[in-house]
Amino acid sequence: MGSGRTWHDRHVGYLFVLPATLMLVAVLVFPAFITLKLSVTPEGGSGWNLTLIHYQKAFRDPVLFQTFKNTFAFVAWSMVGHFVLGLALALALNQALPGQTVFRLIALVPWTIPDVVAGIIFRWVLNPINGSLNPLIRMLFPGFPAEFQWLSSPTLAFPAVIFANVWRGYPLVMVMLLAGLMAIPRELYEAAAVDGAGKIKRFIHVTLPGLSMIILIALALDMVWEFRRFALVLTMTGGGPGTLTEVLSTLVYKTYFQFFTFEYASAMAILMSAVLFVLSLPYIILVGRER
Amino acid sequence: MRQRSRWWVIAVLAIGLAVVLAGPAAAQVKIRFQTWHWNEKPVFYALEEFMNEFNKNNPGIEVVRDDSRYNDKETVYIAQSQAKAAADIAHFQHRAIPLFAERGYIMDLTPFIEREGGQKFLAQWDQHALETCKYKGKIYCLNDYVNPLALLYNTQHFKEAGLDPNKPPTTPAELVDAAKKLTRAGRYGMGLIGSRQEGLFMRFNPFFWGAGAEYLTPDNKRSALDTPEALEGFRFYVELFTKHKVVPPGVIEQGAQEVRTQIAHEIVSMEVGVIQAPLIYAAINPNMKVDEVMAAAPIPSGKKRVSSVEYGMRVISAFTKHPEEAWKVYKAWVSKDVQLRNFKIYGVMSARLDVKSSPEIANNKFAKIFAAQAPYGKIEPLIPEWPKIGDATITAVQEGFSGVKTPEQALKDLHIATNRALGVQ
Repeated sequence: MGSGRTWHDRHVGYLFVLPATLMLVAVLVFPAFITLKLSVTPEGGSGWNLTLIHYQKAFRDPVLFQTFKNTFAFVAWSMVGHFVLGLALALALNQALPGQTVFRLIALVPWTIPDVVAGIIFRWVLNPINGSLNPLIRMLFPGFPAEFQWLSSPTLAFPAVIFANVWRGYPLVMVMLLAGLMAIPRELYEAAAVDGAGKIKRFIHVTLPGLSMIILIALALDMVWEFRRFALVLTMTGGGPGTLTEVLSTLVYKTYFQFFTFEYASAMAILMSAVLFVLSLPYIILVGRER
Repeated sequence: MRQRSRWWVIAVLAIGLAVVLAGPAAAQVKIRFQTWHWNEKPVFYALEEFMNEFNKNNPGIEVVRDDSRYNDKETVYIAQSQAKAAADIAHFQHRAIPLFAERGYIMDLTPFIEREGGQKFLAQWDQHALETCKYKGKIYCLNDYVNPLALLYNTQHFKEAGLDPNKPPTTPAELVDAAKKLTRAGRYGMGLIGSRQEGLFMRFNPFFWGAGAEYLTPDNKRSALDTPEALEGFRFYVELFTKHKVVPPGVIEQGAQEVRTQIAHEIVSMEVGVIQAPLIYAAINPNMKVDEVMAAAPIPSGKKRVSSVEYGMRVISAFTKHPEEAWKVYKAWVSKDVQLRNFKIYGVMSARLDVKSSPEIANNKFAKIFAAQAPYGKIEPLIPEWPKIGDATITAVQEGFSGVKTPEQALKDLHIATNRALGVQ
């Protein structure tokens, strides 16, 4: 069988993937290599005189440790929000309702808004003097303080950023779950109904098992996305009050571009990538198994 | 027929060749002039006028617009410099000079200055300002503006609060007292910056230094934040918001422009501001009669009379392909005529002595007050560790404002963070 294939047949495929491979090397592998090299270069140094001093420093850095904790909390709560809201809306939008397409498009709107714009919008909405949220709450509860502070509050700033991120990011999870819901055969629901299963039982015994793989993939992807979230946090709070809303991506940015410590920032970025790789392993394994 | 066609082809080729060869001779050298001001009126008018005038008078060189943004001007420049593609001339403030010089991103201007007459040429500039352009024996810029800060206040609000508009507060205690009287429903006595931006230092430092505090020991080796003076200055700034409640809510979200907007819309009565602020108030709220309503005074200081200063300067990229042309543009920008015109258009005060002492500045209601603050101007330590210390300072101020920590604890942690940044164990 194989003996009939010429050298050309066997190798022409490499030619087709060459442009994409070169592009990936240029925009992904090369910068990653530069960052890795910078992370083991002494501060202000160059050449191949390498050191692990920045990694040693990173493991002793209380600010980095606190920021890792903030980032994990930010990612975890964002994922919970995205999943709950995404699933609820996917279930609602999977119903045969009039204007279904319009509702589906409206539900996608937050996904079309860039992070920076979403951050600025929420900053305006939550502003204690000119924002629109406080007057809105006061219409419902007249006793609510007129100049209530959201982003300046040590207890509310972090939840406010997570809320904005949940709003901005739920459509990705929603779309994936909606696609999964649409793929579940109607017959399964009909058979369950014939067997006397109510709505809740059908959800538990038909919908959830049918969605399980999609849910895992959606959450794994969401985790990777949220771990890298940058512009929303930077524009909403800049990491404040103090460092209460600082996340890894904003800390790396600050360390590189504001503190001018390129080497230490690169070490932070490499550590962040390593953690991200470990966290995304379930997704990689799942996708591998699916194939 | 064939012979004629051949001549046509030869003629076309000859013309094409002539165009190609003549091209480089006629090509203009483009000098990218980078600043965050291209989108800000009225500064934009001054830039545009300079660009048009220079391009008209200097065939062969074309100044072209290159944009950055105030908050990420360093980010843009670092990325461009690492690609060896930075703008030929770029705009920064004094904090960036040692950092860029250390990394080799900016050009040493000494050879150009020597050619212009060396010390005699430099003598035209405010020598205090010029120090911010020097690093390790080299000179990397010539300041184009020096911007001491002053107290700006609404005289109408003073009258309404029963205060004498001709007697602005002169001490921190008087400032608190006036701010309390000015604060009423929907109006606040004092606008402060609490957001993470450079402008915070310029507002915080006069009160901090005024209390007799310093960030570092005289040798710049250790933190000096563990003194009673440091606590007094730190506490004063924070307590204007937390204790005296004379500052609008959401102070952590307020940057310089937000505070100016609050002044322009008369939500706030006083701020520590820059010389061009009155023109900005007028741009924000054209209905405000700024010249009549607003007045300037020295910043109320404590034990020491002190003001913050913002030094603005342009640098030439170390990677420019056209150093001579870039210098020609640079020299034109810092010339007396252009600097004086800049003052007239957007109210900024030049670091050139002949412009600073000009009748235009001496007779301007606001400018003369600001000019009088220059001798008391002070800047943060120009050391490579400053960005980290500055960031930790903003963190501490925000922690104080939001009540995450008491002023004592926030300052104590700032002291530790400062020593850590300096490598002190």
